[in-house]
Amino acid sequence: MGPLIVYENITQNTNLFFAFLIGIGFGFVLEASGFSSSRKLAGQFYGYDTTVIKVFFTAAITAGIGLLIFGLFGWIDLDLIYINPYYKWSTIVGGMIMGAGFILGGFCPGTSFTGVAIGKIDAMIFVGGLLLGILIFTEGYPIFEGLYMAAYKGTPRVSSMMGISDGLFLLGLVIVAFGMFYVAEWAEKKFPLKEGSK
Amino acid sequence: MKNVKIKSTRVLLAVIYIPVAFVLAFAPVKTNKPNALSSEELLEEVNSSVQFISPDDVADRIIKQDPFLQLIDVRTPEEFEKFSLPGAINIPLAQLLSDEYAYILNQSDYINVYYSNGTVFASQAWLLTRMKGYENNYVLMGGLNYWAETIMNPEAPSSTSPNEEVAKYNFRKGASQVLGGGATENDSAATSILAAPKPPIKKNTQRKRVQGGC
Amino acid sequence: MSEQSIPEFRKTSYFNPYVGGVLLGLVLLAAFYISGRGLGASGAVKSAVVAGVETIAPSHAENTKFYSDYADAHPNGPLKSWLVFEMLGVLIGGFISGAIHGRLKLQVEHSPKITSRKRLIFALAGGILFGIGSQLGRGCTSGSALSGMAVLSMGGFISMIFIFGTAYALAYFVRKLWI
Repeated sequence: MGPLIVYENITQNTNLFFAFLIGIGFGFVLEASGFSSSRKLAGQFYGYDTTVIKVFFTAAITAGIGLLIFGLFGWIDLDLIYINPYYKWSTIVGGMIMGAGFILGGFCPGTSFTGVAIGKIDAMIFVGGLLLGILIFTEGYPIFEGLYMAAYKGTPRVSSMMGISDGLFLLGLVIVAFGMFYVAEWAEKKFPLKEGSK
Repeated sequence: MKNVKIKSTRVLLAVIYIPVAFVLAFAPVKTNKPNALSSEELLEEVNSSVQFISPDDVADRIIKQDPFLQLIDVRTPEEFEKFSLPGAINIPLAQLLSDEYAYILNQSDYINVYYSNGTVFASQAWLLTRMKGYENNYVLMGGLNYWAETIMNPEAPSSTSPNEEVAKYNFRKGASQVLGGGATENDSAATSILAAPKPPIKKNTQRKRVQGGC
Repeated sequence: MSEQSIPEFRKTSYFNPYVGGVLLGLVLLAAFYISGRGLGASGAVKSAVVAGVETIAPSHAENTKFYSDYADAHPNGPLKSWLVFEMLGVLIGGFISGAIHGRLKLQVEHSPKITSRKRLIFALAGGILFGIGSQLGRGCTSGSALSGMAVLSMGGFISMIFIFGTAYALAYFVRKLWI
């Protein structure tokens, strides 16, 4: 039964080795899907290339469905997997800052590493910026601490907050995702990238 | 055309994912939490008094140093400091349901015995944990007051009593000497033994949620 | 660059996005099944920052609450963490894919309308913002938004909405960078 780290007593080092293998899969799929290109990533915000939205949401619903199936068959204990804590204000403000970083920098942290892996200099500079930004946070932690710790709401699932089952919420998410994919494909036709036209 | 291929993949995925999600939405939810008891089931247990354990039984286990006995004092820390049973740990009733004690109360290896001065607090502790479906928790019958009467200062039976009564008295008399009761009144203050909770048995280690995040 | 040149990322072939998404979802599922946690990225960079500070300025690290708390929470040292090993894998996995698909090339990718220099300045600025934001938001696009959405967590959805929402809201004002 999963998570293996909890139920099968795999050692810390084995877990790190699996992290490495999972990382290889993660990096391979990101690069192969085009996440190593900042222009392709930025395309989602202008409609000319919506690969990111398709990959991102397909991955989320695939893993979400997989987790529920695993839970249903007793292959994984869903009470023991990590759920990110919800601190309302830091999540909102952090998300907004990240959004600004995304549109200016053209990468997010995970994708920038795949850019680095294939030699993108802009990705290397972006990673340099990440190091600097995190250093600003760790050095300036007393300034951020109030916001960082405010309005802690535990680790709620959206489904439980809405009072519906996980499966029902996921069904809604799957339907919304396919609706978005339809719109995304339409947007690509509507807003093609006109290179060079001034 | 590439775009046609992408579109047909989307349609294929939708045809698979939406029905699967639909089934999941109405599938029964499975949890491995201990089964919480309904009020009716609880009432039945309360009526049959299965939660009580007699002071003689507890005293016997203490003397024999039963490794599976876990005494839990649910009174306040101040009261616990003044007097407690040998080997007992203190979990004040107010903190009974805090996460740090869950591994002690929700287990299948030890016999947990709640006690308080009377039986009110201990019974409340039992009821609260039983409601959550925890097993192997009991209440010391009569509480410490009755314990003092029976074990510490047993009343001698009359000469006409049946043999069992005499045997019981002899046991209690012996127990009171071992447990520091009886004639040596001034000893009672010195019997506060602070004990650590019994270590959980390996197979039953409390499983903790994985820590993650960036 | 000629008037109607095809951008670099259009010349090469990538996975069908839905196939890529399913594969990424399976990798994420494997992470949950084996290690009980989702994917992440910014946490590994944070480990590197903490390790750097501890090496360069050990007394500063000891006397600053943030670093000493971090050291207490990570008794094996900042670099022996799940995310650090995962991100090493990402570099290798990305390199393998780049090699297979013939995309290994040292270059600055930018819109023909801006210079390399400008692209790099904005990349740095974006990186700094993402660095701060990911710490405040307890995870980036992968750690908080993607992994959080897979477990239907409130934090994950709020993260996702505000990352993408802000980027869409600002897109018009910085369109010269990209289109």
